[in-house]
Amino acid sequence: MPQLEQVEFFISQLFWLGVFFVILFSVLTYITLPKIRAFLNKRDDFVRSHISKQDELIKKAESIIENYEAKLTEAKNQASQIINDAKDEALHESERLLKATEEKIQQEIKLTETRVQKEKEDALSELNTQLKDSATDFISKVTNIEKGNINL
Amino acid sequence: MAKGESPLKQFEIQPIIDINLFGLDISFTNSALWMTVTTAFILIFFTAPFLKSKKTNSVSDLYPSRMQVAAELGFSFINSLLNDTVGKEGKKYFSLVFTLFMFILFGNLFGMIPYSFTFTSHIIVTLALAMGVFIFVTILGFVKHGVKFFSFFVIPGLPIYMLPLLIPIEIISYLSRPISLSVRLFANMLAGHTLLKVFAGFVSALGIFGILPLVFIIALTGLEILIAFLQAYVFAILTCLYINDALHLH
Repeated sequence: MPQLEQVEFFISQLFWLGVFFVILFSVLTYITLPKIRAFLNKRDDFVRSHISKQDELIKKAESIIENYEAKLTEAKNQASQIINDAKDEALHESERLLKATEEKIQQEIKLTETRVQKEKEDALSELNTQLKDSATDFISKVTNIEKGNINL
Repeated sequence: MAKGESPLKQFEIQPIIDINLFGLDISFTNSALWMTVTTAFILIFFTAPFLKSKKTNSVSDLYPSRMQVAAELGFSFINSLLNDTVGKEGKKYFSLVFTLFMFILFGNLFGMIPYSFTFTSHIIVTLALAMGVFIFVTILGFVKHGVKFFSFFVIPGLPIYMLPLLIPIEIISYLSRPISLSVRLFANMLAGHTLLKVFAGFVSALGIFGILPLVFIIALTGLEILIAFLQAYVFAILTCLYINDALHLH
C-alpha cells in the first residue's frame, strides 16, 4: 500500500498540506468569509427595514380604516336621524291636512244643511202663501165676498 | 489503468518538482498538485462572486447572482451545522470548520476525476488534519476551563468505585478520537477508489461482457460522490461536536 510504503514522501505531504491549509484558512478568514457575511448582512438589513416599514404602513392603514368606519357609522346615524325627522314631519303634516280637510268638509256640510233648511222653509212659506191666495180666490168666487174682506 | 497494474497504483505519490529544504525532501508531488487545485478552486469559487463591488446602492444589488447563491449555500450549510451542534458560541470557529469541510469535500470530489489524485486517501494527510483538530480542541478546552478540563473524563452521577475503571476508558476514547477521525476518511477514500479500479480492470478483461462491470462502475461512481460529500460532512460535524465538548464539557 503506497500510503504506508512511501514513507519518504510523508514530510513533503505534511509540508504542502500545511502550506495549502494555512493559505486557504487565512484567505477565507480574512477576505472571503467577511465578504460573504457583509453581503448577507446587507440583504438581511434590507429585508428587516422593509418589514418594519411594512408594519408601520399596516398600522397606518388600520387607523385609516378605523377612522373611516367611525365616520361611516356617524353618517349612518345622521342619515337615520334625518329620515326619522322627515317621517315625523310628514306624519304631522298629513294629520294636520287631514284635520283641516275634515273641518272644512264639516263646515261645508253644516252650511249646506242650513241652506237646505232655509230653502225648505222658504218653499213651505211660499206654498203656504200660494195656498192661502188660491183659497181666498176660491172662497171669494164661491161666496162673492171681496178678497180684501176674507181673512184666513 | 494498464493491464496488470495493481489497483493500488493510483495512490502512488509521484514527485513533479524535486525540492530539498535543509535536508528535508519537500518535493512538489501529485498530492501537492491536487491540493493546489483544491485550494485554488475553493478560493475562486467562494471569493470571485463577491469581488465585484457594485456601488449603485440600488435594490438590484441585493439580488444574488447564480454563483453567489451557490457560495451562499455552502456558507449557510456550515453556519447551520455549527449552530445546531455548538450554538451561538460556535461563530468563532466558523472559518476553521468551513475550511476543513471545503478542503476535504473538494479534495474528495476532485479525486473522482479519472487520472486525478485523491490526497485525502493518504493516512498521513487525514491524520495530520485530525491531529490538528484534536490538538486545537484540547488546547481550547484547557484555555476555557483550565485544570477543570480534566473533569471531562469523569462522567457525572457515577458511583465513586466505578471511576478507576471508567476514567481510563474515557481517556482512551478521547485519545482515539484523531485516529478514528482520520482512519474513517482515509479508509472510505481508499476502499472506494480501489473498488472502482478493481471493477474497471474487469471491463477490459471480460470483453463484450465488460458492459456489466461498466454499468456497476457508473452506479458506484455516483455512490462515491455521495461518500465524498458524506465523509467531509462527518469530519466537519465531528469537529463541531469536539469543539462543543471542549466548550461545555459535559
